[in-house]
Amino acid sequence: MKHVFGTPIVDYLPTLGLLLLTVMYLVTGYGYAPEARTFPVTVAWVAIALVLLDLLSRTKTPAGEAVTRWLNPSTSAGKLEAQTHYALSKQIAAAAWPIGFVALIVLTGFLVAVPVFVMASMYFRGKRSLLISIPVSAAATLFIWFLFAQILQLELYPGVLFNP
Amino acid sequence: MLEMWLSGFQGLLHVDVFLFVVLGMAIGLVFGAIPGLGGSTAIALLIPLTYSMEPFTALALAGGVMGSVPMGGSITSILLNTPGTAPNAATCLDGHPLAQQGKAGLAIGAAGSANAIGAIIGTISVLIVLPIANDIVLLFGPPEFFLMSVFALIVVATATRGKMLRGLVTGAFGLMIAYIGYNDIAGGERFTYGIEYLWDGIHLVPALIGLFAVAEMINLTVKGGTVAKSATAVKITSMTSGLFETFRHLGTVLRGSLIGTTVGAIPGLGGTVVAFLSYSVTVQASKNPESFGKGNIQGVIAPEAAICAHDCSALIPTLTFGIPAGAEMAVFLGLLIIHGMQPGPLMLRDHQVEIYGLIWALTASCVFASFVGLAFVRVLAKITLIDSSILVPLVLSTAFAGSYAIDMSIENVVVTGVFGLLGYLMMRYDYPRLMIIVALVLGGNIERNLHQSMLMGEGGWSIFFARNISIVLMIAIVALLALPIFRALFKYWRVRTVSVGE
Repeated sequence: MKHVFGTPIVDYLPTLGLLLLTVMYLVTGYGYAPEARTFPVTVAWVAIALVLLDLLSRTKTPAGEAVTRWLNPSTSAGKLEAQTHYALSKQIAAAAWPIGFVALIVLTGFLVAVPVFVMASMYFRGKRSLLISIPVSAAATLFIWFLFAQILQLELYPGVLFNP
Repeated sequence: MLEMWLSGFQGLLHVDVFLFVVLGMAIGLVFGAIPGLGGSTAIALLIPLTYSMEPFTALALAGGVMGSVPMGGSITSILLNTPGTAPNAATCLDGHPLAQQGKAGLAIGAAGSANAIGAIIGTISVLIVLPIANDIVLLFGPPEFFLMSVFALIVVATATRGKMLRGLVTGAFGLMIAYIGYNDIAGGERFTYGIEYLWDGIHLVPALIGLFAVAEMINLTVKGGTVAKSATAVKITSMTSGLFETFRHLGTVLRGSLIGTTVGAIPGLGGTVVAFLSYSVTVQASKNPESFGKGNIQGVIAPEAAICAHDCSALIPTLTFGIPAGAEMAVFLGLLIIHGMQPGPLMLRDHQVEIYGLIWALTASCVFASFVGLAFVRVLAKITLIDSSILVPLVLSTAFAGSYAIDMSIENVVVTGVFGLLGYLMMRYDYPRLMIIVALVLGGNIERNLHQSMLMGEGGWSIFFARNISIVLMIAIVALLALPIFRALFKYWRVRTVSVGE
């Protein structure tokens, strides 16, 4: 993997992403009236300064190491579990389940999405038998229907497909 | 005065009133444990049921709910890293690592007993302070509120020990998110990019559920297995272990309760700030700060004691000024008004028995809920042994439904999903998630109070130097920011001294 200032280029990505978001925020902020933008723009400039310091702390330069030592000492490589690297495909697959669930809720509503998601998740991802997956998904749906629709008297979202 | 305290207490001893306190406690425990519901939903749900009740009974029921919500929230925080309510997010930091080590029982026991002691200390403080509360709260104006909010933000950033810079980065990012939506100072919307839903800003609870519950479930899916790292490790230490731990760290309980009581009385700061502040101060004061975040029992005790103490003292601004200290208190104000009690200085004169009854009910509920938590600790800890393939879909279903239930908005569900991904990325790249929550809570306060301070100072900063409390807070902020640098310098100097000596 390509290294920049002694650090793998991929390690700069979160900071660069934050920097990009902050710059976009700042550009949008300058489009508002002075009274409305004063505080958000000030915060965004502070954020840019902090993100640049964070970027510097990721380098293996003397300045970067000094910033890490003083302001981020526990973020040195290999110290934290969060830095344990799992296979990227595994992480994407894990994140895809809740994203798919949100999409399913939006499309079909809770009373369809919940049993489908619980059953699919247990059967396909967890390799559980249908004998366990079906009762658990039915129980989960019943619990949500009873708590939200019956006790709280909320109209559970019916989904784009079933919404008249 | 003593007569009124006793009248309030005696009122609770009537069987029907007492049963309503117990009912409120049971409801609060359940609603506190389910992310997205919490005390405000529970009280809102119960308001219609109280129409035909005596005001005293209605307040006792509300007190029962408010007192037990923190205990319910702490159970899911510890077992699943999913805070039932926003303040319980601070409990996740050390409570969940303890659960992963098979010490869920210890953590829940400590949380319960810290809750109970915090509530008792909070109650005593409120009973003493309530008669003079007006004068104390009036010492705080917009400059103090602004500086107090900045102080709270920096305290929490510095408590993400060893990651202060990343804490400040996420704090700034959280503030940027907090300014999305309608701007009540200058009018008009900001940073909504044409999305109508964003006019109301990013709601705290969907963001919280995403950052903690969804992110944690993604993480659990990646890791596989169970929450507790090994099935044999879930030894439920005797139920009283947590209780003994709490008494062993009585200083932490007292400090947390004191923070909860004093800061809780300041309108607008809320339980989340109080919990994180208590946690942060405990980390700063500890001789072994590196152990926090990895399962230090004091990291559970400090926020839990503060949350219950705060719940008691949050009644001060709510009752004396009609300024709710949080969403729960805002709904509670509605209950007061429905029962013909107008919050304000006159309420302290005209409804003393009801007020003291409410305080006693809240305390009793906190204590009972702690006993219930302790009694069921063995059963509850088994949740950490449920395989992720079953646990993840069940938690996600409840979390997304809870997020929707806040205001029946499907966009909340989408926001929860987005924050879930953001939370996972933050875990993955080692950014502290809690700062986003604290910034979302404080963002509006900071801007509004700065604006009002500037109006008071006719556009200049001199107002901050003209008030004693402001000056103290500014010195505290500078000291906090300088602390990590001084600490690093001291460490560097000590290492050099030792190496020269050798």
